[in-house]
Amino acid sequence: MKAEAIPAVPDPITAEQARAMSQRRLKKHHVAIVIVHWFNAVTWLLELATGAGLVVSRHFRVAPAWFTALVEGVFGTRANMLRFHEALGLAWIVVFLVYASFGWRTYLRAEVMHREMGLDRNDWRWLAVRAARLVGRSREALPPQGSYNAGQKLFGWLVYTMVPLVMATGVVMTFRLIGPAVVGWAIPIHFAAVGAVLAGLMVHVYMGAVFPEEKSAFFSMVSGTVDELYAYNHHFTWWREMKLAEREWMRRHDREAEGAVAAPVPDADEPGGTESPD
Amino acid sequence: MSRYAMVTDLRRCVGCEACTVACSAEWNVPPGHGRTRVHRTPVTGTFPHLRASTFVAQCNHCDRPPCLDACPSGATFRTDDGIVHVDRDLCVGCGYCVAACPYDARFIDPVARKADKCDFCAARLARGQQPACVTTCTAGAKHFGDLEDPASDVYRMVYLEGARRIETAEVAVGPNVYYLGRPEQLALVAASFAPRRPRLPAAGEAWRRLAIPLVAAAVAATFAGQAIAFFNQLRKGEEDFEG
Amino acid sequence: MGDGISRRAFLGTVAAAGAGAALPAASRAAARPTGWRGGERVEKGATLCEMCFWRCGVLACVADGRVVRVEGNPDHPLNRGRLCARGNAGTGLLYDPDRLKTPMLRTGARGEGRFRPVSWDEALDVLAQRMKDLRARHGAESLAFFPHGLHARFFATLVQAFGSPNSAEPSFAQCRGPRDVGYALTFGQGLGSPEPLDLDEAKLVVLIGSHIGENVFTSQVAAFAEGLAKGARLVVVDPRFSTAASKADWWLPVRPGTDIALLLAWMHVLVAEGLCDADYLRRYASGFDRLAAHVRDCTPEWAAAITDIPADTIRATARAMGEAKPAVVVHPGRHTTWYGDDTQRARAMAILTALLGSWGRRGGIFLPVPIEKGIFELPEFPVPARGRADGAGTTYPLAPEETGVTNGLVDATLTGQPYPIKGWIIYGQNVLESIPQPARTRKALESLDLVVVVDVMPMEQVRYADLVLPEATYLERYDPPVLGTSAKTPFVAVRQPAVAPLYDSRPGWWIAKQLARRLDLGVYFPWASPEEHLARTIEPLGINPLELRNRGAVALPGAPYLEDREAGAESPFPTDSGRIELYSERLAELGADPLPRYTPPEPPPHGFFRLLYGRAPVHSFARTENNRTLSALMPENAVWLHTGPARALGLRDGERVVLENADGQRSLPVRLHVTEGIRDDCVYMAHGFGNRSKAMRRAYGRGASDTSLMSRVRVDPLMGGTGMHVNFVRPIRAGA
Repeated sequence: MKAEAIPAVPDPITAEQARAMSQRRLKKHHVAIVIVHWFNAVTWLLELATGAGLVVSRHFRVAPAWFTALVEGVFGTRANMLRFHEALGLAWIVVFLVYASFGWRTYLRAEVMHREMGLDRNDWRWLAVRAARLVGRSREALPPQGSYNAGQKLFGWLVYTMVPLVMATGVVMTFRLIGPAVVGWAIPIHFAAVGAVLAGLMVHVYMGAVFPEEKSAFFSMVSGTVDELYAYNHHFTWWREMKLAEREWMRRHDREAEGAVAAPVPDADEPGGTESPD
Repeated sequence: MSRYAMVTDLRRCVGCEACTVACSAEWNVPPGHGRTRVHRTPVTGTFPHLRASTFVAQCNHCDRPPCLDACPSGATFRTDDGIVHVDRDLCVGCGYCVAACPYDARFIDPVARKADKCDFCAARLARGQQPACVTTCTAGAKHFGDLEDPASDVYRMVYLEGARRIETAEVAVGPNVYYLGRPEQLALVAASFAPRRPRLPAAGEAWRRLAIPLVAAAVAATFAGQAIAFFNQLRKGEEDFEG
Repeated sequence: MGDGISRRAFLGTVAAAGAGAALPAASRAAARPTGWRGGERVEKGATLCEMCFWRCGVLACVADGRVVRVEGNPDHPLNRGRLCARGNAGTGLLYDPDRLKTPMLRTGARGEGRFRPVSWDEALDVLAQRMKDLRARHGAESLAFFPHGLHARFFATLVQAFGSPNSAEPSFAQCRGPRDVGYALTFGQGLGSPEPLDLDEAKLVVLIGSHIGENVFTSQVAAFAEGLAKGARLVVVDPRFSTAASKADWWLPVRPGTDIALLLAWMHVLVAEGLCDADYLRRYASGFDRLAAHVRDCTPEWAAAITDIPADTIRATARAMGEAKPAVVVHPGRHTTWYGDDTQRARAMAILTALLGSWGRRGGIFLPVPIEKGIFELPEFPVPARGRADGAGTTYPLAPEETGVTNGLVDATLTGQPYPIKGWIIYGQNVLESIPQPARTRKALESLDLVVVVDVMPMEQVRYADLVLPEATYLERYDPPVLGTSAKTPFVAVRQPAVAPLYDSRPGWWIAKQLARRLDLGVYFPWASPEEHLARTIEPLGINPLELRNRGAVALPGAPYLEDREAGAESPFPTDSGRIELYSERLAELGADPLPRYTPPEPPPHGFFRLLYGRAPVHSFARTENNRTLSALMPENAVWLHTGPARALGLRDGERVVLENADGQRSLPVRLHVTEGIRDDCVYMAHGFGNRSKAMRRAYGRGASDTSLMSRVRVDPLMGGTGMHVNFVRPIRAGA
């Protein structure tokens, strides 16, 4: 690969460049992430359906009667439904505990969280432009984004704060821990936390499954890779890091010909960006 | 269809607690709790002109049971014969029903950590037996039967002898446990056992009045935004978004 | 049956049936109660309750070798399937973790409570040797026996065969003695237990101190409630507003100790207004004229000044009795040892009953039916060299030798008069709580050469024992059959094991038989098994023992009323004269009042209240206090004090007080119940609390013991009963 100049800001590209970039793929997600994502998606779907189906009291019901009857019909009895809801919830918690115990260094350390999930000025600007564009009020270009765009980051934060609450309250209810007062409070907290995630989830699903601009992101959750053109357009900052890392890798490869280089490069085991880019 | 009711004859009841213990033994209720409980009204009057009465309280199997709506999971349900049951498989032990019962007839079983209360010994009824408290009552004060059966004791006591329910104008949920006795006994029991307003615990209120509207608003707002975006998308066509 | 519940059926030969269950092999069953679950395979076996002394029929429901539930036996004519709180809590006794579990031999000083567990062989060998030593040194009569209950009867036979006449149950001198003596003087026979009261047919019921409802005997409560529901009127004489009083048409809060004045005034009204059953009296009674003269001056006005009951009320209640006669139950009471003149009060009640023509009449007191019992051919019992040491039949001329006087035995132990008592065998009795003046009892226990306790629970007295023998509970053993002679429907009933004895406990029959063998007295137990004993006892009745064991009880024909008896047959009144003796020649001979006379009780000293006590519906005194279910319902007692004095003393409802009696004895702290429902000259508490046995972990230290405050008694000179309503206490704020 020829050493082209890597732009510092997203320059317009030619059609030829675009075609070439759309043929090249960058690795974005580890296969484990892909699996966990879809396990998570299925779990949420089932837990939402059974959870909504479980609440039948006039005071608290959120799903219409036909829906609770439907879900109950699927499970035979509501007691079975409750058992399923609890068992799947516990399985979900176990999967995430395993995931967290293996992946916490990669995904959950403070500096990683700060770099990957921290919102900077560009991000806030991105949110404003994105929202305006969505409702057709703006055609302004989106500011460059890292491996996660600001919307994904916000949703990430929502998930990081709410999911532990959902898990903790779920465990309290399943095992009826501490006392009725605590179980009593666990229910509205469980509900509210799920509700908050649900609101974000709707955007997440819409963006991923319906919104055409993010089609590549959707397929990246199957293949684990994105094409360079999408990365350049949607996650420029990340694309640039990738390219710089790639350049560094090649430079090391050609060490005897080239001299020492002191260009700052990301750590070798950082998320998303440091897999071998072929 | 049957409509079951219990009548306690205050002229007979001596407050011996046989019902309490028979019930606890029948249903393995942990000590300190009871599906039936014996109460004593306060002694009223001035020595030596005094009045007092013993009486038995249990789930009233109300026509309009407040516990039914308070129970989020539907663990509490009412069958056509009027019996209000607790399905232990569905109970999560939140205690909302305990707060909702105007007669304090429910409790959280500290061993199972689930709601418990009288179910008129439904399992015994299915075997053709009377409820345990009725069978054991030393004074023969407890009577159980079907209000739709004119030959039953309870029919006679309720419709012919004036057995009454303990309810107030404020809280009238249609209890199906009746009391028969002299007027002053009934007055004493009614005064000391007046039902309180059904309520939800703070958690239930927070859920109902705060969490549900907020979540509904958030979901609705999100949905509305997306609808606009989707509409936009359709209007413009997909190509427009590329690049 | 399809639902997994069946009635246990005994099949096969008598000797073989149930032998396994009766063999006291150590059980591996966990001593843990489990609940009844509808789906389990449950077998129901009939037996008799022993949570109190009424002996109701019960069905023990057994699943997986454990009793999961005890319920009323519908085939038992006494309780007909009903069962009180205690009966329903029977598994709490069976599976009480604090039960006596193994024989124990004392290692520390007496009263210290240090023991080592021993085998039954060793325990019985030691006991036999110690009994022989005692007999050699002091004579067989130096052994005193304190039994209580059916199960002690085998052991009583052993004590009699051993040669001691000194057996005494507290049910006489601390309980029903004066009543049975007083009624026997009048009608020729006492009342026995259960009392033959036709409460369900009565038109008027008079309770004098009886607190039915708080005092729960299932069939008695059932009949009482039935009577009330059928419209019987109710007169309750009680210084306290009891549950029964709350149902009464007339509550008479009598000044304590003045009941005889009230009774005499009632008689006065009946006689003066011609309300007696004249035909009945003419036919059956003697001494009416002398009685009429005796009560001539006992006007309601006279009594009103003494009793605090208005004369009008006395007249109105007497007239109500006259109207309702003969269907009037003047309840004879049960615990009747109050003031030391109790035989005379019982006489007054008996005479009142006679004036109303109630004995042997529908709605009054029905006639007991003798039931023939099979006789074992036993060798002659040895005739003791010396008579009873407790004064029964001598110092206390009307105390029958069969029942004895417990406090007389305590006296003899302490004084060595008429001869020394050196050994006590305490069997199912709780001598430190049932006999007043516990300090004296304690002193007596400390002075003995031999103390043996046979019991189920480790009561405080266990501490004083040389040897402790753990008995099986009523759900684990056979007892002699019950012959229900004083029930309206006479019956024969049987107690039999539902499960094998837990731990290293043994049934009473086995203990007696084993010990008899070691004392060479085996010939007094000429039966191989309790089943054989049962079969031979009921032989004359022509009842198949297997049917009896399957059903638990078999009803026999009764003849409860005088009209059921043939004219010209034996007199229904087996007094000396064959008539109802309103005037008692026997008492006259003894130099006592032949007609009851009112003697004023000692008034409370200034600042003190008379200590009254009674029963709580969920407890049979100390024997149920450790029961997990019953303890949860009533963990401790409370002291009732009237609002007025409470205010004057600055004491509030619910706070803890200590009671101090006039001799400076203090109770454990106890909750104060301030109420309008008691007179202002007395206090009241449920008997049997204030447990001082640390081994009874649930009961220990809960509430206060009335017995601990009974440093004084007034002994009835006629029968030796200890009048116990003669102690005065004052409440002191706990910690003050």
